[in-house]
Amino acid sequence: MSVIDKIHQDRFDTPKTPFALDIEDLSNFEYDMQHCIKCKGCYWVDHTYMPGMENAVRCPSNLWKEFDSYGAFGKMRIGLHLLNGELEWSDHLLELIYADPLCGACDVGCKRNLDLETGLTLEALRVKAVQDGAGPMPGQKKVIANIRETGNIYGASASRHSWMTEEIRVAEKADTVYFPGCLSSYQKKELAQSTAMLLNRSGIDFMLLPEESCCGNVAFSVGDIAAAREIAMKNVEKMRNTGAKTLVVSCAECYRMWKVDYPKLLKIRTADLGFEVKHIIEAAHDAWQEGKLSLRNPVNLQITYHDSCGVSRLCDDWEPYEGERGWMGTIEPGLTRRRGRQGLYQITRELLENIPGLELKEMQRTRENALCCAGGRGTSFDFPELSAFSATERLREAESTGAEVLVTACPWCVSNFDSVKPEEDPFEIADIAQILLKAAGQEGGTV
Amino acid sequence: MELIRDLAAISGMANVLSEPEQLKPYLSDLSLVPEGWAQAAVCPANAEEVSRIVKYCGENHLPVVPVSSAVHLYGSSIPKQGGVIVDLKRMNQIHEIDLVNRCVRFDAGVTWKQLTEALAEKGMRVIMPLAPWGNRSVATDHLEREVTTSTVYDYGEPMQSVEVVFPNGDIFRTGSASVHGYPNTPARGANPAGPGLDFYRLLQNAQGTFGIVTWMSLKIQSIPKIDKVYFAPLQSIDYGMDFLYRILPRRIGQECVILNRRDLAELLADSPEEYESNLKIVPEWTLVLVVSGLLRRPEEKIAYEDHFLQDVIQSEFPDIRLSTGLKGIRGADRRMLRILRQPWQNESVYWKYYGDSGCQDLFFITKPEKAEYFVDTVKAFLEGSGFDCRQLGAYLQPIEHNRACQVQFSFHYNRFNPEACRQVDELSFQTAKLCREQGGYFTRPYGRLAEYLYDGAAGYRSALKRVKNIFDPENIMNPGNLCF
Amino acid sequence: MSIQKDAYEIIRTIVGDSNITDDPADCIGYRSGPGGYENGTGYDRVMTKLPGAIVMPDTTEQIQQIMKVCARYGVPYVPYSTGFYGPRSHPHVDSALIIDLKRMRGFEIDAKHYYIVVEPGVIYSQIQQICMEHGAYVVVGGGGAQTSAVANLLNDGWSPLSYRIGLPQRRILGLEMVMPDGEILRMGSLSDGEDPFWGEGIGPDLRGILRGYTGLLGCLGICTKMAIKTLPFQPVTPEPQGISPDTSLKLPEKRVKWLNFTMPDLESIQKAHIELGNAEVGGAITKVPLFWRAIAKAEDKEDFWRIWLKETEESVKNFCIVRIMLIGYTSEEQFDYDYRVLSDIMEELGGIERRTKPSDESWFKNADSAGMWLMTGSYVSVDYIMDSYTQAFKQGVSYMELKDRYTPPLMPDFKDLGWFQGCEMGHLGYFEFLMYWDQREDTSGVDQFYVETSKMNIENGYYTSLLSAHQPMMLTGPKYGPNYHEWILKLKEEFDPEWMCHPPVPLAHDEFVRRSPWMKEVCTWDPPEDLPYPERWKDK
Repeated sequence: MSVIDKIHQDRFDTPKTPFALDIEDLSNFEYDMQHCIKCKGCYWVDHTYMPGMENAVRCPSNLWKEFDSYGAFGKMRIGLHLLNGELEWSDHLLELIYADPLCGACDVGCKRNLDLETGLTLEALRVKAVQDGAGPMPGQKKVIANIRETGNIYGASASRHSWMTEEIRVAEKADTVYFPGCLSSYQKKELAQSTAMLLNRSGIDFMLLPEESCCGNVAFSVGDIAAAREIAMKNVEKMRNTGAKTLVVSCAECYRMWKVDYPKLLKIRTADLGFEVKHIIEAAHDAWQEGKLSLRNPVNLQITYHDSCGVSRLCDDWEPYEGERGWMGTIEPGLTRRRGRQGLYQITRELLENIPGLELKEMQRTRENALCCAGGRGTSFDFPELSAFSATERLREAESTGAEVLVTACPWCVSNFDSVKPEEDPFEIADIAQILLKAAGQEGGTV
Repeated sequence: MELIRDLAAISGMANVLSEPEQLKPYLSDLSLVPEGWAQAAVCPANAEEVSRIVKYCGENHLPVVPVSSAVHLYGSSIPKQGGVIVDLKRMNQIHEIDLVNRCVRFDAGVTWKQLTEALAEKGMRVIMPLAPWGNRSVATDHLEREVTTSTVYDYGEPMQSVEVVFPNGDIFRTGSASVHGYPNTPARGANPAGPGLDFYRLLQNAQGTFGIVTWMSLKIQSIPKIDKVYFAPLQSIDYGMDFLYRILPRRIGQECVILNRRDLAELLADSPEEYESNLKIVPEWTLVLVVSGLLRRPEEKIAYEDHFLQDVIQSEFPDIRLSTGLKGIRGADRRMLRILRQPWQNESVYWKYYGDSGCQDLFFITKPEKAEYFVDTVKAFLEGSGFDCRQLGAYLQPIEHNRACQVQFSFHYNRFNPEACRQVDELSFQTAKLCREQGGYFTRPYGRLAEYLYDGAAGYRSALKRVKNIFDPENIMNPGNLCF
Repeated sequence: MSIQKDAYEIIRTIVGDSNITDDPADCIGYRSGPGGYENGTGYDRVMTKLPGAIVMPDTTEQIQQIMKVCARYGVPYVPYSTGFYGPRSHPHVDSALIIDLKRMRGFEIDAKHYYIVVEPGVIYSQIQQICMEHGAYVVVGGGGAQTSAVANLLNDGWSPLSYRIGLPQRRILGLEMVMPDGEILRMGSLSDGEDPFWGEGIGPDLRGILRGYTGLLGCLGICTKMAIKTLPFQPVTPEPQGISPDTSLKLPEKRVKWLNFTMPDLESIQKAHIELGNAEVGGAITKVPLFWRAIAKAEDKEDFWRIWLKETEESVKNFCIVRIMLIGYTSEEQFDYDYRVLSDIMEELGGIERRTKPSDESWFKNADSAGMWLMTGSYVSVDYIMDSYTQAFKQGVSYMELKDRYTPPLMPDFKDLGWFQGCEMGHLGYFEFLMYWDQREDTSGVDQFYVETSKMNIENGYYTSLLSAHQPMMLTGPKYGPNYHEWILKLKEEFDPEWMCHPPVPLAHDEFVRRSPWMKEVCTWDPPEDLPYPERWKDK
């Protein structure tokens, strides 16, 4: 008889409760909400890395507004009351739930020591808001409608491929699909251009998705699962139909969406997508290691690097889970928790540090401790003050390193930082593709 | 009320003093606080008798003035409003020396001489203030927060639990001795904190106004196996303090003091004549640093400390000249070690009275970097007031790795000359005011200084009085001291 | 239900619209449980209430004004810095105001004189980093680096790094309190000047009323500023390394090192503590519960139980590890000396050095305390004790035996003795007993065990830190002092006669026992029918 069985036999009497890592049912996270210990590991920078009085916090929502309810630890408590029908939806409650970029800082912070699914709980709260008819927020609803009508978040009728230039070589058919995402396709076209040119320089033939449309990040992030699932199914099918083996993205939101949230929506593993999802950082790193991409052109800049959430805390492979929770909260079968270990920290720095003339000055909040700019996941549409606040705070930190350029890996970050940076400030914002392209000997942006 | 009879019923007639000649020693002390008068003095044998005495006094609205030993320095044991002196001299047992947990429990009447000798027999010692009187109460000195000469222990004070008779007569034990059944318990009284409130803090420097401590537990240390006493003449106090800022946080040394000529000359003397001779020899300022090897590998400990000192001196403080001798004074190092580890040995003359018959001490806490400023400021003030600064002793005591420093000035005078007494009393008071205005923090308000200091800390005084009122609503415990 | 309406409006004008709320969702966000320190107990369920409102002041003056308004309009309040300490730092009565101090983030350092001055919103990891950059360190309490230093020191804060300095209150220098009547009380050198560098006096030391050992949990006002001692360290700042969850501080090998020794038995561990203190070397010494090591090794909860359930009483009893930190405060030469002395001691005692990581995962900067909840989901330290080594080790055995009777619902720990460490260079022995359970079980046994430990301490003559508000005062009061509780209640009566500050602390645990039917069987003392605090706070 096993020890646990013997103990069960003696006196412990915990019932087994089925649950799944399924955000469509908030009750799946009842245990997590009940066991948040209010240690604020979700709020503070990892204490081992705590830099001091400044740059101490990595939760943008709770930095913006300081009541506990704005932090994950507050929302876990609120979630329980919502689950038990003890709280009515209100404008303020919607703000608590939606004024949050779902950046994953709380999830990684909590999982430093515990097994609680803080990030999934916050996602589930949004799903519940939509299920209850309270969410999403008005701006977000409009975006979802735009996607439905035009296939992009802007409701734009122009072609998604208008970012392309003559010098960019696009294949009819290739093993790699490049997916630029809405923001790069329509607004920050130079980012899509730089990425495409970098792929060309790396000798990576790529094609575009036929009838390409939005990845559905906003729909998913705000809890409109039905809309998000519909988009996911269509996009995955399109991708599979190309026969390509790899999908390359240049947007950290798209990256997370394709790699993690599509499998989540389709209830499959990341490995079962049928293709690999890579950010341009990964594609470039592979090419560089294989000798196909040379980064020998000096780039005489002092830069700092912002680890966008989608390529850091949020990108661990997804695996669906169903099981039972029983004695002392243990689950059967076991589960490998997603603790943010797969963030693209090391390879990014390897690339940057290898570029001659480039000096990387790290911010104090770096890698999994990065402060999200709060521009993504639908936040900026309804909480522009939060997005502006967090971007301003992060920009301050970036400039305090003494660097000249802030480099990041997501057009949402670039756009958000650009929007708060005073015009007269000579400090520049750039995407990593632009820097890598420059190091590869080609101009591709404003840097 | 028949006071003498009633007191005798508690402690026995032989232990009640009421004749003027018997009471005389209690009515004044070595300070300049004016004489007081008491109705009687009683010498109880134990805490139960103390309790009964205190209750009796409470019922009869009589002040209680606790006294633990024969030597009183600051005027707090002089009755201010009459009353009954409770002399704890019969309570002079050393109850237990616990070598495993390194603590000693002893009565309030135990003297430095008694305690240090008993501990030495077991190879132990207690960190102590500078050269205390041999027949002064150890408990009193630690209650009064006399600053110790040791700078190396992070925990600072050695005081642990105490037993106290509160003004309502309750016998109470503080800290971990508060357990039911103590001392026959696993709890050894090693922790001063609690129970509930940190009562011990209220008793510190209370000057008997919150109760009568009947016994105390103290931490003890092993006697080092090897000691090296270094002397270094200081051309400038600032320079010496900078040196200490550098070395004391590195946990160098056991004891460390800085003394002016007068104080050092007196300390190293066995007689008034020797004192006079020393005055001509010792430097104006001297740093004394004891480096010790402890129980294990003592030579190696001395070695690493010496190496560190040498490196620092060579590279950063070339003007510090450490020497194990003091020119002109034979065996200065051995004498100094005795002084620092034992109470004052000369039973006929205490070191502060070699030059003059009276000594008024003034002390306060500051940051070490301000010590020289205070010395210069005080000297200038005194000289301007016509005081001969050769009569001024000065002692700087670094505290806990030199995070702070006690500055002590000793005004030497002829206590048989009323005019001299009056002058020193006024001068020391004015000096205190000056130092306070310049940022010196006076933690121990004795005599007339108390009112002045509390005037400057009115908020604190107000709260303190409220707390006092909880413990002693009738204000019977040593009234007229502090702000009570 | 919010707080009194007029009071709310007045306070709103004091702090501004964005710093006060009575929104129901916000109030729920401040709820104590159901998870967290001492949550998942009857005390949490029975005693805690949702706050009526929350206010976030950022100056002492605002706090004063708020407290005066509360006094005038009868609004009970609870000071709150992180809320981590569980139900005891959350409201116990309806319509209470939480005064959230997180915006009080003032920080200064005087590196030369080894102290810092902080406000309640500053946490230990922030302090530690700055201190280490200045050649100093602080003791981060076992509660974790995420705790407010002010709150932790007013309450209790121990770690193996307490080895040299010991009692948390020794670290408190000058400070500033706003008393329940709204008046400011400054203590230490702050009572007579602007620099809080020294803590004593003037005369009797009123810091004695701060900590009702353990703490008075804010029931005597609010501390708004505190100077705290730092300790001289060594000159190399340890660097962080690793990616979450595997982060740690890389220790400078020639100056700071943890060493683990396997010892023959518990007695030799006790002797190691004693000998290290006698030798006056080292920076920390501790014997941790074996299951903490399993937590450190485990990838997750399931992994923990896979590891832990391989143990038996025999294996736990035989696995005696003592963990010692050496710090080269003076020099590398001194570090080497300490190591040789330690080696001598270990040779005498039969200790065998084990391979030890050259890093610190737990004690300098981090919040490994959060890992306490990994095993079962609920945790509280049922006692922390500071007296002597001889008491500590004896007490561990008593706890272990008592705990056995309450397992389940307590976690099976195969009679592990708990956490020991040495403090004040061996003059004090520290022992902490931690209990773990699953709050989804019947937790009456947890509540009962908590009080039974208090009775066990009394019966056996053990001293404990968990007096005052932590255990029924009517039980412990007569037995310690004796009658320490009378003085606490008199103090409370004097400074807060209406019990506006965090009612009904310090009688909260007595009240809990009174209200909870499952506590009747353990209530073997004689509490008064009517507890002595104002009627207005009593649950009708």
